[in-house]
Amino acid sequence: MMKQQTFLKLILLITGVSILLPIAVLLLWSVTGRWPWPNLLPESYTLRTLQELFFGSAKLPDLLLSSITLAAIVAFLATVVGILTARATEFYDFKGKSFVRIGSFLPLLVPGTVFAMGIQITLIRLGLSDTLVGVVIVHLIAAVPYCITIMTDVTRAVGQRMEEQAMVLGAGPFTAFFQVTLPALLPGILSSMSMGFILSYSQYFSTLLIGGGRVKTLALVLVPYIQSGDRALSAVYSVVFVGSALLIFFLFEALIHHLERGEETR
Amino acid sequence: MKRSYTPYLLLLPFFVIMALILVSIWNVLLQSLGYIPAFGLTTLTLDYYKAVFQQEEFLSALEVSLRIALQSALLATMLGVLLCYALVKRGHSKGELLYLVRLPILMPHAVVAVFVISLFSQTGLFARIAYMLGFIIDFNQFPALLYTENYGAAIAAYLWKEIPFVAYFVLALMSSISSTLGEAAENLGASPWRSFFQITLPLSLPAALKAFLIIFIFAFGGYELPFLLGTTVPKALPVQAYMAYTSPELRDRPYAMAMNGVILFLSLAMALLYALLTRKLLKQTGGRE
Amino acid sequence: MMKKWLALLLAGIMSLSGCSASKQSIDPQNASWDEIVEAAKGSTVTFYGWGGDENRNNWLNTTVAEQVKDKYDITLEVVGMDINDILAKLSGEKQANATKGSIDMIWINGENFYSAKENGLLYGPFTDKLPNMENYIDLDDPETLNDFCMPIDGYEAPYAKAQMVLFNDSAVTPETPANAAEFMEFCKKYEGKVTYPALPDFTGSAFVRNIIYDLCGWEQFQTMEADYDTVKTAIEPALDYLRQLNPYLWNQGKSFPESSTKVDAMFADGEVVMNMSYSPFSVATGIDQGIYTDTTRTFVFDNGTIGNTNYMAIAYDAPNKAGAMVVINEIISADIQLTQYAQLKELPVVATDKLSADEKAAFGAVDLGQGVLSQAELLAHRLPEMPASLVPIIEEIWLNEVVGK
Repeated sequence: MMKQQTFLKLILLITGVSILLPIAVLLLWSVTGRWPWPNLLPESYTLRTLQELFFGSAKLPDLLLSSITLAAIVAFLATVVGILTARATEFYDFKGKSFVRIGSFLPLLVPGTVFAMGIQITLIRLGLSDTLVGVVIVHLIAAVPYCITIMTDVTRAVGQRMEEQAMVLGAGPFTAFFQVTLPALLPGILSSMSMGFILSYSQYFSTLLIGGGRVKTLALVLVPYIQSGDRALSAVYSVVFVGSALLIFFLFEALIHHLERGEETR
Repeated sequence: MKRSYTPYLLLLPFFVIMALILVSIWNVLLQSLGYIPAFGLTTLTLDYYKAVFQQEEFLSALEVSLRIALQSALLATMLGVLLCYALVKRGHSKGELLYLVRLPILMPHAVVAVFVISLFSQTGLFARIAYMLGFIIDFNQFPALLYTENYGAAIAAYLWKEIPFVAYFVLALMSSISSTLGEAAENLGASPWRSFFQITLPLSLPAALKAFLIIFIFAFGGYELPFLLGTTVPKALPVQAYMAYTSPELRDRPYAMAMNGVILFLSLAMALLYALLTRKLLKQTGGRE
Repeated sequence: MMKKWLALLLAGIMSLSGCSASKQSIDPQNASWDEIVEAAKGSTVTFYGWGGDENRNNWLNTTVAEQVKDKYDITLEVVGMDINDILAKLSGEKQANATKGSIDMIWINGENFYSAKENGLLYGPFTDKLPNMENYIDLDDPETLNDFCMPIDGYEAPYAKAQMVLFNDSAVTPETPANAAEFMEFCKKYEGKVTYPALPDFTGSAFVRNIIYDLCGWEQFQTMEADYDTVKTAIEPALDYLRQLNPYLWNQGKSFPESSTKVDAMFADGEVVMNMSYSPFSVATGIDQGIYTDTTRTFVFDNGTIGNTNYMAIAYDAPNKAGAMVVINEIISADIQLTQYAQLKELPVVATDKLSADEKAAFGAVDLGQGVLSQAELLAHRLPEMPASLVPIIEEIWLNEVVGK
C-alpha cells in the first residue's frame, strides 16, 4: 500500500496541475488564430484579439471602470451591513436575535436566479430597473451573508473591552468606535470587502436581468462571445476578467498582510 | 448605556436586505399561484404547479438539476475533504500553495466555462492528448461531455471550483483537530489512515456537511454553467424557468414562477434536512464526550 | 462622519446612474418628419440586439454612432442582449405597467417579431414616417411586406439580408455539390466528416429547409397550412433523403452538434470538411481573421438557397421613439448600408434601382474579400423563407423522423 505521505503529495501535485493547466491554455487561446485537430499547440497566432480588446467596441477602460466601481460599491455596502449586524448580534441581547442569525443565511438558500426573477417586477415599479442602484441591490444579496459571517468572526475576536475602556476615559461612543474598534477590525473589514468585491465582480444573471444591459460589466460582454463560439475572444476577455479580479484580490491580501505584520511588531 | 433600541438601529440595513428577499419570495409565490392582475390573471390556483409537473420538459429539467447538484456536491465534498487533509498533513495550511488552491474560488463561472470548453470538448486539449498517446484514433471516440444530456462539462466545471472551496472551508476546523486529536491518536499508535477515518474525518464532518449544503443549493439553482455548457433538451431547471420567464407569451409567466417555486421549496427543504442532520450529529458527538 | 460618507456615496451613485432622458414630448404619429428630427436632436437612443458579433458591435459603435452624432446630434447606445432577454424585459415592463421603458430600438425578426407584435410589445406602425423607406427600399418586395410570410404592417424596417451558403476548403475537398444528390455523393466520399447543426439550431433548421426546397420545390410551402400531417406528407421525399444520408454523416447521424457555433469550431479544427452559414460572406471574414484557410470558398445549390431579412423595430414603451425613428431611417440609407456591406460583409437591403449612379458604383467597388460569391450571384440564387409557423413543425418532424433513424 502506498505510504500516506506519498499519496497526499500526489494529491497536491494533481491539484496544482489541474488549477494551473486551464489558466495556461486560456493564455494560449487568447492569441490563437488556428488550432486544428490534433495539434497540441496552435498552428498560427494572431493579434486580432488584442486589437479588439484595446481598439474594439467594448471600450475596455470604461468597461473595467464600471465593473470595478460597481463591485467596490457592493463591497463597501455589504461590509457596512456586516459590521453593523455583527455588532448587534455580538454585543447586544435583544428579542429576535436567533431570527437574525438564521436570517443571515437566507440569501444563501434562495438561488440567485429565483431572487432576481422575483424582485424584477418590484424594481421596475420603483424605477430601479436598468440602474446602478438596482444592480447594487441584487449584488448585495449575494455578498451580504459572506460579509456578515466574516465580520461576526472578527467582531467576536476583537471584543468590546477596549471600546468600553475608551468610553470610561471620556470618549463618545462614535469616537470610541471609529478610533479604537474600527482599526482593530480593519484586517477583517478588508477581507470582507475583498469577498464582496469578487462576488459582485462575478455576477452574470442578476446583472443581465436587473441591469438590462445598461449597467455594463465584463461578465456581460464575455458571455455572448462564449455563446457565439469565438474561443479566442472568449479567452482574451477571460484573461482580462481574471487578471483584474486577481490584481485587486491580491492588493487586498497584501494590505491585510501589512496590517497584521504591523500589529505583531507593535 | 445600552439602550434597548440600539441593536435594532444597527440591524436596520440588515432588515432592508431581509425585506427585499421576502418581497422577492412573495412575488414568486403569488405569481406562481396565478395572480398577475396586469395580465388579467386574478384567481389564486395551484393549476400552474399541477401543469408543470405534467410537462415532460420540466420533469427532465428537474432531474438534470438534481443530478448536477447531487453529483457535483458529493464529489466536491469528498475530494475537497481529501485535499484539505493533504494540505493539513503536508503543512500547507498557510503559504503559497494555499493561494493557488484559493484561485478557483475567485474565478467567475463564465471563465470556468471557457476553461472547460478548451479542455473537455471533443477536439479539446484532453482529446488531443489522448490522441497523441494513442488511446483514441479519432476525436469521436473521446466522450462527449459538452452540450450533451450527461452535463459532464457543467459538473466538471463545478468540481474545478468547488473542490478547492470545500478544502478551504473545512481547513480551519480540520487543521485544529488534526494537530491535536489526530496527532495524539497517531502517537498512541494508530495508523495515519485510521486516525484520519476515525478521528479527523468524523470531527470535521459538520463543516463538510455545511459545505455540501452550500454547493448543492448553488449548483441546483445555478444558471451560467448549464446555460453555457448544456444541451437544448433537457435544460437545467433554472435555465428552463428563465426560458419560460422570457417567453413573449405573457400568460406563460405563472409557469415560470411555478418552476421557481419548486426550486425554492427544494432548496429550503435541503436546508431543513441539513439543520435536522447537524442537530442529530451534535447530539451524537455530544453524547460520546 | 459616517453620514458624510454615505451622502458622498449616494451622490456618486446618482451621478453614475444618471438618466439619459430625452426632452421629447411630441407624438411621432402626428408629427412631420422635420418635427421628429428636431425632437430627436440631442437625445440618446438605445439599440438592443444580439452582442456576440464583434464586427457588428464595432461597426455600430463607430460608423453608425458617429454618423448619427454628426448629422442629428443623437447619441447611440448599443446594448448587447439576446432577443429572448429583450422580450422578457419588455414583458416585465408591461407587467409593471411601465409607460417609459429603457429600450428604444430592437434587432428582431421571424417568430420573435410575430409574438412581440401579437403581445403588444412593439410600437407602430412607423415605417411610413421614414423618408428613406421611399428613397431606398423596394416597397413591393415581399421581404419588405412580410417577415417569414407574416405581414409586417409597418412595425419593422429592414436592417440586413442574410442568405444560406455552404463552404469548404478546396485544398481538402475539390468538389462543390450543386444539389441534394451531389451532396449525398459528397458525404459518401468524405464519410463521417460532414454534419449539420441539430435542429432547432437556426442554421441547421435553415439547411434542412433548403434540402426540402431542393427535393420538393419551394412554392407549395408559401401557403401551406401549419398542420403536422400536411407538412409531413409534403416533405416525405426529403425525410427519406435525410435518413439515407445519416450513415455517412459525422457520428453516423446518431447525433448532431448542438449549435452552428460548434460546427464552426469543428470545421476550423478540421473535424468536418464542410460547413454552412446564414451569413453569406462569413468565409471572407473567417479567412481575414485567420480562422479559416485561404483556400476556403463559398458555394450555393444551383436551385438556390433560402434568404431572409432581419429587421429593426421600436419598443412599445420606448422612451425616445422619435430618436429611434431617426436612427432607423439613417441605417436604411445607402450610406450606412454601404458601410455595412463593406465592413460587415452583409447583404444590403437597399433596392439597386433606387440608387444613384455614384451609389451603384460605390457598392460595385466594395472588395468582399476571398472565397465568397458576388452579391448578384447570391441574389440570383435566393429563395424565400417559409411561413414562420411551419418552421417549428419541421423541427419537430426532424426530431421524430430523421435523427438517429
